[in-house]
Amino acid sequence: MQKLLDILASGIHDAKNQLFQAESTLIEAESKHGIDLGEARYAIEAAAQRLSRTLTAYRLGRHDQALAVVPTVVCDLCDEVALAQRHHLAAAQIRLEIDCQAFDEWPLDRDLLTDILNNAVQNAGRFAKSCVRLSAAMDDGGLLLRVEDDGPGYAELPPAGGTGLKLAKTLAALHARKERHGHLHLDNGGPLGGARFTLWLP
Amino acid sequence: MSNLYAKKRFLVVDDMPTARDALRTVAQNIGAFSVEFAANYQDALYRIRNNTPDVILCDYMLGEGRSGQQLLEELRRFNLLADENIFMMVTGEQSYEQVVSAVELVPDDYIIKPFSPEKLLLRLDRIVAKKEFFKDYYQAKRKQEYAEALALLAQKRDSEAGRPYRFEILRQQAETEMASGDAKTAEETYRAILNNYEFPWARAGVARSLHKQERLSEAREEIERVVSSTPTFFDAADLKASICMAQGEAEEAQRVLDEVAKKTPRNYLRKRLLAEAATLNGDDEAARAAMADVIANDTMPGAVQPEDRLALARSQVNANDLISAEKTLVGLKESELQNLTLDLQASYAALLAISSPGKGKPRFAGLRPALMSAALESTPRLDILRAALTLSDHELADHQAETLMEADDAKKTFGSTRKLYALHGREMDFRNIQKQVALKRIKHETPAA
Repeated sequence: MQKLLDILASGIHDAKNQLFQAESTLIEAESKHGIDLGEARYAIEAAAQRLSRTLTAYRLGRHDQALAVVPTVVCDLCDEVALAQRHHLAAAQIRLEIDCQAFDEWPLDRDLLTDILNNAVQNAGRFAKSCVRLSAAMDDGGLLLRVEDDGPGYAELPPAGGTGLKLAKTLAALHARKERHGHLHLDNGGPLGGARFTLWLP
Repeated sequence: MSNLYAKKRFLVVDDMPTARDALRTVAQNIGAFSVEFAANYQDALYRIRNNTPDVILCDYMLGEGRSGQQLLEELRRFNLLADENIFMMVTGEQSYEQVVSAVELVPDDYIIKPFSPEKLLLRLDRIVAKKEFFKDYYQAKRKQEYAEALALLAQKRDSEAGRPYRFEILRQQAETEMASGDAKTAEETYRAILNNYEFPWARAGVARSLHKQERLSEAREEIERVVSSTPTFFDAADLKASICMAQGEAEEAQRVLDEVAKKTPRNYLRKRLLAEAATLNGDDEAARAAMADVIANDTMPGAVQPEDRLALARSQVNANDLISAEKTLVGLKESELQNLTLDLQASYAALLAISSPGKGKPRFAGLRPALMSAALESTPRLDILRAALTLSDHELADHQAETLMEADDAKKTFGSTRKLYALHGREMDFRNIQKQVALKRIKHETPAA
């Protein structure tokens, strides 16, 4: 089994390297011809993200995924999600609002969290009418991260989640500090009236 | 895009040409004008030594069994990377995150491929802001003005601008406290970090500071936790081995180092530690092999020092290969010998007196008065003991044994000392010295108030 994991990991590693080369080719073309290939670059990064997520899901299935927790500036995390998603959402006439009220460094797995939030914002963007909001705040001695939209909300609760939601739930629970674990909560309503994705980390 | 980086010199380190081109494209896109390449580990070291770039973008996988993390460690080891320079690791896979979340020695940041120029820019801007925030502290630290450095950190810790760096401030504080020799306070600082989150590097910091305080069994307990929970944290294994040696468990130290050295065959600091453990453990062949590897392959200029050749000669003497030992010792230049510390001079004279009595005995005899009175480390003391026993100089030998057993690190050398006395049929004398030292200790110990 370890061998299969190695094969998968090295294949994904190579694919991501090639995607990086593809993206750099687009960057060259952009500056050479003065064009905007943002959507193509977005598709490349989304593909790479999907590959990583698949590997993470596989590792989680084998109980072989350890978190890599580093002190992370929460506002920087939000900024990176905004950087990755804002352009794409704007193309669909959707505004991405960021409201970060968590000013301290927080111990969390930065890259997995970035992926979870990117995925949540992507999902919200698919159903939103005009606005998606990503917010961060301190709550109950932990960190509360929330993605909400002004769409119709989840059709059923709990929603029949895809890989992304299942992953978010498991990864939240893996985050532990002072004997408390993180959790994911999905509901409808809130100030924007649509679906609401709430992640609490200890 | 930005002109902040136009005047900065970039170095891209990657063994794959196409990946290098991609990284250059991204760097140029954020305004970098000067982008140099390094195709491998040695090339990167050479370029950085000659003219340190402002920003290093280094791929984690460098081929030939080398990694970007090794490069970073080597740069820090030889002080080739100032706090002001930027080192960013670039990686296509998630395994590096495991490394960076555990170890004590980390790059300024790491970024996962693929990434856009905008993302790189965001990351670099943050590093620049952070370095600006810590600027005065870095200067105080470089001048080894520790009190000043700690005062600056305290100021930063309490400031609003310091909120995004609260862990980094504590981490720097603990490292500065260690560097200034205040292991007790460093321990408290590491515990304050752990009180917030169980970072492996902070737990290792507790073990390191306990080791410095000679609280060995507590240190051992702490480091065992780190080693068993974080197998990718190799420096923790080194620390465990050092603690084991101090506890007199050279066999376990060698076992631990052996295992890690197999995974990091080109880490020559680790090989040196392995040789030390093997020597204490009486595995002379392993010590000899490790030191031969160090001397042949640790190719950084200035990396191989006279003490490394002495370590090799020591292992050859122990293995009774006196001809090789003599050859190793004679290979040291007279100019090198003149600059040795008394510790190293003592080792040299002792090892030469054993391997080549004709040349070595006069030198050893000349040093004898100093060896009877000076304060020396335990390694040269063991060498002197070995030579004195060989030359039947009982007074000199017994003085070394007594001093070794009175020293703080007595447990570390006890096994070797006993073995040497046994080798010369003097077990009874050894036991008498041991008794005297114990009696002296009881006499000197004042009852607790």
